[in-house]
Amino acid sequence: MNAPVSNPADMSNPFTAGSQDSWFHTMDHDRISTLFVCWTLGAFLLGALLSLWLTLKSITGEAGDVGSLFQIITYHRLVLVFLFLVPAIPSILGYRMLPQLIGADEFAFPALSRCSLRFYVVGLGLLILSILVGPVATGWTLPTPLSLGANPGFGFMALGLFFLAASWFVTGLNFIVTVHYRRGTDVDFFSMPLMAWGLYLGAYQLAFAGIMFAIVVMYLAGGQWTGRGLFGEGTDPLLWQNYFWFAMRPAAFFALIPAAGVISAVVERISRKEVTGYRLVVGSMIALLGLGLTTWGVHLAGWGQDAQVTFAFSILALLGVIPVALIAYCWLATIYQGANHLPAPSLFTMGFFLMAGITVLMELFLRSPGLGSYLANTMFASAQMDYLIWGALMSALLAGLHTWYPEVTGRSYNASYALFGGFLYLAGLNLALVPHLIMGTRGVAADMMVLEAGSSTLPGISLVGWSIAVLGLLAILGNLGRAVTDGEPAATD
Amino acid sequence: MTNLGMLATWFPEAASTHAAQLDGPFMQVMMAALVVLVVFVGLAIAFVMQFKREGQFPLGSVTLRTSLILRVLWVVAAIGMGLLAAGAGFGVFVDRTEAPFASGTIIVTAAQGDWDFAYPNGHVADTLHVATGTPVRLLMGSKDVMHSLSIPAFRLDEGVAPGRLAETWVEPTVPGTYDLKSNIYSGEGFAELRRAVVVHEPADYDAWLAAVSDIFAGRTLEEVGELLYNTQGCAVCHTTNGAALVGPSFLNLYGHEFETESGETIVANDAYIKESILTPNVSVIKGFQPVMTPFAGILDDKKIEAITAFLKTLSDRGGAPEGAVDETAVDTPVTTETQQEGN
Ligand code: HEC
Repeated sequence: MNAPVSNPADMSNPFTAGSQDSWFHTMDHDRISTLFVCWTLGAFLLGALLSLWLTLKSITGEAGDVGSLFQIITYHRLVLVFLFLVPAIPSILGYRMLPQLIGADEFAFPALSRCSLRFYVVGLGLLILSILVGPVATGWTLPTPLSLGANPGFGFMALGLFFLAASWFVTGLNFIVTVHYRRGTDVDFFSMPLMAWGLYLGAYQLAFAGIMFAIVVMYLAGGQWTGRGLFGEGTDPLLWQNYFWFAMRPAAFFALIPAAGVISAVVERISRKEVTGYRLVVGSMIALLGLGLTTWGVHLAGWGQDAQVTFAFSILALLGVIPVALIAYCWLATIYQGANHLPAPSLFTMGFFLMAGITVLMELFLRSPGLGSYLANTMFASAQMDYLIWGALMSALLAGLHTWYPEVTGRSYNASYALFGGFLYLAGLNLALVPHLIMGTRGVAADMMVLEAGSSTLPGISLVGWSIAVLGLLAILGNLGRAVTDGEPAATD
Repeated sequence: MTNLGMLATWFPEAASTHAAQLDGPFMQVMMAALVVLVVFVGLAIAFVMQFKREGQFPLGSVTLRTSLILRVLWVVAAIGMGLLAAGAGFGVFVDRTEAPFASGTIIVTAAQGDWDFAYPNGHVADTLHVATGTPVRLLMGSKDVMHSLSIPAFRLDEGVAPGRLAETWVEPTVPGTYDLKSNIYSGEGFAELRRAVVVHEPADYDAWLAAVSDIFAGRTLEEVGELLYNTQGCAVCHTTNGAALVGPSFLNLYGHEFETESGETIVANDAYIKESILTPNVSVIKGFQPVMTPFAGILDDKKIEAITAFLKTLSDRGGAPEGAVDETAVDTPVTTETQQEGN
């Protein structure tokens, strides 16, 4: 592990005392990143187990107790979104890479880095506590007035989400300030690596969505507690949905921006040349950030939103095809005639192209005014979330991990195991999710294929796919984990 | 990969005009999206494979200038995809916002574990019945939490919220029974929201509505009588406990003798009761005003029979021997004459 940065100022500061050698008190960004790897992958594992359980229930057809089914549905999505989809790339790759990318030696607020990690862990703990006390079964968008009903675990869950959102906010703030004030003298804003751009723009989403969601989820908890207030009894259910998606549309769906930053860096690395059309990519990412912050209403299409409003949001969201196409173009142009090497990062980059491609192309269906409202509450929409989380985000993360692993750990992993696991993972995932898409077009409610059990073989196929995907993932992570101790020393680039 | 059988059953049956119009555009977007995906990922894989040069070049040794035309074409293709998606089913989207003039309205009320469908004639059922070729407007609201009205065969899924009435309409095309459910989890009783929508031929629909609107179904004659007593306004003027209000009490009315204002003595038998309901002011009971509403044209023979049966249950002479009733029933022609005179 890298030696913690020694900053003389730290010694006299009681706030940072002991941070030099303790993993608990550490404010060193490399250590924070390493700790985030453990916590985030642990949380992902929890989400994965819940997903598998859900699929298993679906083929055994235990639909009798719909309430307990919905507890699983709610928590598997909450865990995967709040603990993985939104924070994974900034907290794992961001904390590790950002200072180095912009020529800084530490973050602007090292204490905030530690704070973000602690908020994350507290949030995770509270979420698990709420499962033990009395799981919430409302679906992950916590719609009012259903979420106002008496439920012992709700307060803990809301507090947990508050801490997680606060953790995003703190990370976002830290990244933004660091990029502005800690950039090396030779690093100009418009010569910053694309990955720094991705993390920087993603930080705005984290900061915005984090503070926003932390506040409104407290209002929701207050409403649940007292039955009054902004989201209390008798208020318009669309109000909460608006606030929820106002925060979650950019944070969750546009988590693809930092992922695109990572992939840009990986593409440069595997092709051994700089990305073609740097300014095009940066401009497109900024455009996407803008679209992320202004298109929350597309998620209210199936919720009784006025048709005119839905139409306006849909058109705005569909404008996203232009920046997305430009970025894709630049990536292809970079790989073309590149001196392509590094098999494992290449595979995960192709995986990202496939999975993010599917996620984005599904937007065409879901944001189409004509087709969208029929699909909005179905498995088509929940499968898009899965393609986003399991497919696009995980692929970007794995591409990044496999690219910088040798540098960070000083050891090399076994490339053929990585390829083997990667193929299993990507194939299994598509086998798992294509049946979801088909069921979605048949109108099966989001995440609720259990209610269709027995009527088709699709849930069974899906379970086989999930199992293969999880095996593949375990092979990939096991391979990386093993290399920490057993790997050959890495050849330096 | 996918066998043909699966493709054939990809979509649920299309049983409405809108459903038929949406499947085509869906498939078009699907095909276009597949082409884009294959081109993009295919090119990427091809480039990676073709330009695989393990450790040959130092970083940045090759640069590429792409042609402007290629770039513009690519963006135009992307805009084309966006337009294709925006246009897919747009006609249906617009069409759905306003029901055709003069379509009947069914009011849909969702609640945890319950759907109510109120038909134009006031009948309330727990399944949705509609007729082919007949556009029907759906006004949807919820009594408690968020629900959605999802009918895959109509490619319809609309949010049903408390505090607002959402509106849509359908024109079914193929008779049959299809799934109807909510796609938004609503807590208690979610599984019971799984209902059916039955599409009839128009004639069958009318017959169905007439049949379910029939209050006699599932009730005894006496129960129907009591229902009518409560719903047709009789209870406003007649008690069942012996106390006289505006009109004489129904307790011990059937089979008893009464004196009329004109001094005649009548027996309250079936025929007289029928006459009293249809043209009450022809023979007025002594001590009462001729104020009772004539129910001719409102209550038919069958309903009067039911009321009579109800009156029998309230009378100590209700169990009068059949013969006696039949005997008095012979008087009916006289009553009818009186009725005609009255008119
Ligand atoms: C506006 C008040 C009013 C309403 C409503 C009303 N009645 Fe009457 N009804 C009277 C009065 C007053 C009399 C006595 C005078 C007469 O015979 O017309 C009477 C008489 C009768 C009699 C004859 C009683 C006897 O002692 O022979 C019958 C039978 C009767 N009503 C049935 C009904 C039924 C059945 C309904 C409901 C469908 C009904 N009434 C509704 C006011 C009413």
